[in-house]
Amino acid sequence: MSDQTNNYDVLVVGGGIAGEETALNLANIGYKIIMVEKDLSIGGKMIHLSKVFPTLDCSACITTPKVSETARHPNISIFTNSEVGEIEKISENNFTAILTQKPRYVTEDCTGCQLCEEACPVSVEDQFQYELVGRKAAYIPFSIANPRIAAIDIENCILCGLCEKVCPADCIDFTQEAIKTKINIKSVVMATGYQIFDPTIITRYGFGKFKNVVTAMQMERQLVPTRPFNAVLRPKDGKMPDNIAYVLCTGSRDDTVGNPICSQVCCMYSTKQAQLLMGALPMADVTIYYIHVRAFGKGFCEFYNQTVGMGVEYIKGKIGKIDEAENGDLIVRYEDIESGKVKEAKHDLVVLATGILANRDYQSMFKNIVLEPDKFNYVKQVNDLSSPSKTSIGGVFVAGTASGPMDIPDSILSAGAASAETASYLRRAYNEK
Amino acid sequence: MKTSKTIDHIKKIRTVSEEVKAKRKEFNTIKRTLLKALESGPKSIPQLAEEVELPIDVITFNIMTLRKYGDVETGEIDDSDEYFSYQLKQKK
Ligand SMILES: Cc1cc2nc3c(=O)[nH]c(=O)nc-3n(C[C@H](O)[C@H](O)[C@H](O)COP(=O)(O)OP(=O)(O)OC[C@H]3O[C@@H](n4cnc5c(N)ncnc54)[C@H](O)[C@@H]3O)c2cc1C
Repeated sequence: MSDQTNNYDVLVVGGGIAGEETALNLANIGYKIIMVEKDLSIGGKMIHLSKVFPTLDCSACITTPKVSETARHPNISIFTNSEVGEIEKISENNFTAILTQKPRYVTEDCTGCQLCEEACPVSVEDQFQYELVGRKAAYIPFSIANPRIAAIDIENCILCGLCEKVCPADCIDFTQEAIKTKINIKSVVMATGYQIFDPTIITRYGFGKFKNVVTAMQMERQLVPTRPFNAVLRPKDGKMPDNIAYVLCTGSRDDTVGNPICSQVCCMYSTKQAQLLMGALPMADVTIYYIHVRAFGKGFCEFYNQTVGMGVEYIKGKIGKIDEAENGDLIVRYEDIESGKVKEAKHDLVVLATGILANRDYQSMFKNIVLEPDKFNYVKQVNDLSSPSKTSIGGVFVAGTASGPMDIPDSILSAGAASAETASYLRRAYNEK
Repeated sequence: MKTSKTIDHIKKIRTVSEEVKAKRKEFNTIKRTLLKALESGPKSIPQLAEEVELPIDVITFNIMTLRKYGDVETGEIDDSDEYFSYQLKQKK
């Protein structure tokens, strides 16, 4: 269709599962795709998850073949560590945008040998392990990153030059600068995903202050083989927990934090984690404090019943406050909704089932036109029943959680709709010419 | 392929903040303290907390980090199945 360096049929913004699925569907029928991912690797949140509900398939095992297929596809050009802006609609099938490739300070010849990482004397919090452990300033983002190329975190680099000295392939390049390129595209798919609610906002839960209060994403990391610790342990003192609590609806269905809607995935990912914890810590008790359990998808109810059968306790209760005892245990004060009584329970680890929020990045990407938000700041679906990926701009489509909270199967479904509608938009214009 | 060292180039246009320098120094001090404490044998995190003057969560974070960097390895778990011990990794 178009083959010049800066001309593409579709710009896919975001390389999570929804972006990958959209890009692959369209690339497989011959369209030329540019995928722009702001992170150092594609894969989105899914690549960091343990297993997926309700099948308990290994998340990385399902997603890495898709990641590699996307990365190797001859019709897909991927730009990681990059951003796109100033998207301008000239006419139907005719958009321009500015692509900014940020410097990685490592060239693509990097073999991923990690000698730079070993030599680097700087240690900072590892964002890919959700701050549970450190990483170097010269680092491979994570073991299954794609591309598996090191990067220099220049903000934390002390400019000692050791990485450059030890690199056997001569790949460290501190002369790299941001590169801005104008690209021409015919359509856009917004697949920028979601953001995770920041639980420090709910100060009464003590996240940040009490180290044994963790987020569900931190627990996901503790449950994968490439986990930050040697086992599932309390971040405060390294104790193996044996009485774990989940607080559902942390930052969801809560007007006081500005997010009145359900995040769709927390009930099921907490149920999943409870099952995985019972496998990892056979002696542990797991309690899930919930307002309502929403087990609405295929096999969800059976999955929930199975979890109850395994001995996970579900308490219909609203958490008022979490306090820390001297030994790091946590006192959870809650309203038992069934009895109407205020009760207290002691747990040695609390997991906050943090909700999903809109990623508003798309709001500053356009130049001469506005991509309208819905009332919760997700990309507005102008006709969510008959054309779920259609947005307020003709030729701009939305896929996955950029349009609202949803799980992986629904994100894939949504990407299917986005690719079908994009193909039909491109085809229509082609036929009209 | 590059022939000269590029670090000199960036040194001319960037300075390292005091905060970054302090963070590096702090990590070095913690690393030295923890590795020294483990010289006398494997220890659990609460045992380390009794011996060194660091908050226990700082010890946990850094022991796990040193484990990741290959300086420390996991030892046995205690009789009540609560705490693992950590030991210096013998470098080949
Ligand atoms: C703790 C937890 C556990 C979960 N467990 C499960 C589970 O077991 N099963 C299940 O079905 N679902 C689960 N989910 C939900 C699942 O994570 C999502 O359904 C899925 O990841 C959505 O994919 P996505 O591609 O829409 O978004 P994301 O995974 O968020 O991907 C978006 C991508 O876009 C990139 N991006 C963002 N902004 C920009 C920008 N401005 N420019 C360029 N790129 C950008 C991001 O870096 C990212 O790579 C879980 C969620 C959480 C929080």
